[in-house]
Amino acid sequence: MNPVIPRTSRIPGRDLVLLLARCLLGSVMVVLGLSKALHPVDFLKILHQYGLIESPVVLNLIAATLPWFEVFCGLLLVGGIAVRGTALLSLAMLVSFTGIVLRRALALHATTGIPFCSLRFDCGCGAGEVIICHKLLENGLLLLVSGLLLATNHRRWCLRPDLLEPG
Amino acid sequence: MKRILREALVIGALGLTMASVANLVSPRGLSLARDYFPAKAGTDSPAPSRPGALPARLARHGLGLVDGLQARKLFDDPRYEQERILFIDARDDRHYQEGHVPGAYQFDRYYPERHLPALLPGCLAAETIVVYCTGGTCEDSEFAALTLTEAGLPPARLLVYAGGMTEWASFGWPVETGARKSGLLRSVKP
Repeated sequence: MNPVIPRTSRIPGRDLVLLLARCLLGSVMVVLGLSKALHPVDFLKILHQYGLIESPVVLNLIAATLPWFEVFCGLLLVGGIAVRGTALLSLAMLVSFTGIVLRRALALHATTGIPFCSLRFDCGCGAGEVIICHKLLENGLLLLVSGLLLATNHRRWCLRPDLLEPG
Repeated sequence: MKRILREALVIGALGLTMASVANLVSPRGLSLARDYFPAKAGTDSPAPSRPGALPARLARHGLGLVDGLQARKLFDDPRYEQERILFIDARDDRHYQEGHVPGAYQFDRYYPERHLPALLPGCLAAETIVVYCTGGTCEDSEFAALTLTEAGLPPARLLVYAGGMTEWASFGWPVETGARKSGLLRSVKP
């Protein structure tokens, strides 16, 4: 007689949520990073339009490396490698990007008088021209996801959750 | 928290190294040392919000400006067929392939090493060179013209067509798609 397998080996909900959070944040970073990395000149032009960086070397360095860096962090998150350290970096990047986009949107709103949630422009985020309200909401969600991954010691389904821990 | 910070620093260093290598090996990689947006006379950078400053900026560098009708006149001039007048498209591959002024050479100024060796002898032999990009707030034609002067072309021979491809197509004038002299022409009705 076959023993009845108890259904206690269920997938823990917390781990599933964290896995989904990791994959969501990681895949968004890979997709948006790649779209910029494959068209670095377009990204360079948008960075230049922001007018925040005077030095050509710094401007080029950011345009050349930031998209690939995003891809790298995204892959680490999807693979579950150095999750909390990468989540901290993603949080730092998202806070900076969101602040810069919000500043530009507010300036455009002030100068053009276009209602804030009707503003659309290419923010250099990798998705082309977007409605800025939507972009800010999306970034808010990704910030929450980054915060969640940073705050939680998540180890299940991770290749190497702590990079600096031996073994 | 300290360990997370250390981990972030390690990931940051690894990521930057990987990103630098990726940029180096990518055929579309950027040159870190190049100034892609050289300032004009120190302060007057070509800001898209100040299009009225364009003629003055060009004049300061000895470059000329043409409007759509003047560009069309140069296109219809018999010297265009003889390549004594040249049109140069300063946009990237995708935009050039999608449609350019028939017979125009491509010069993507972000990758001059790809185009200049083939382009320069013809430019040096030409009497007049019209440089254009998309038009509107596009500043690539202006920068491309400056790059050509740095490569040795007399500025007096260079004219910037500020209306660019958008204006050209809006007039319903012929547009060539694909490679230069592909023979694939289309006329966009305004």
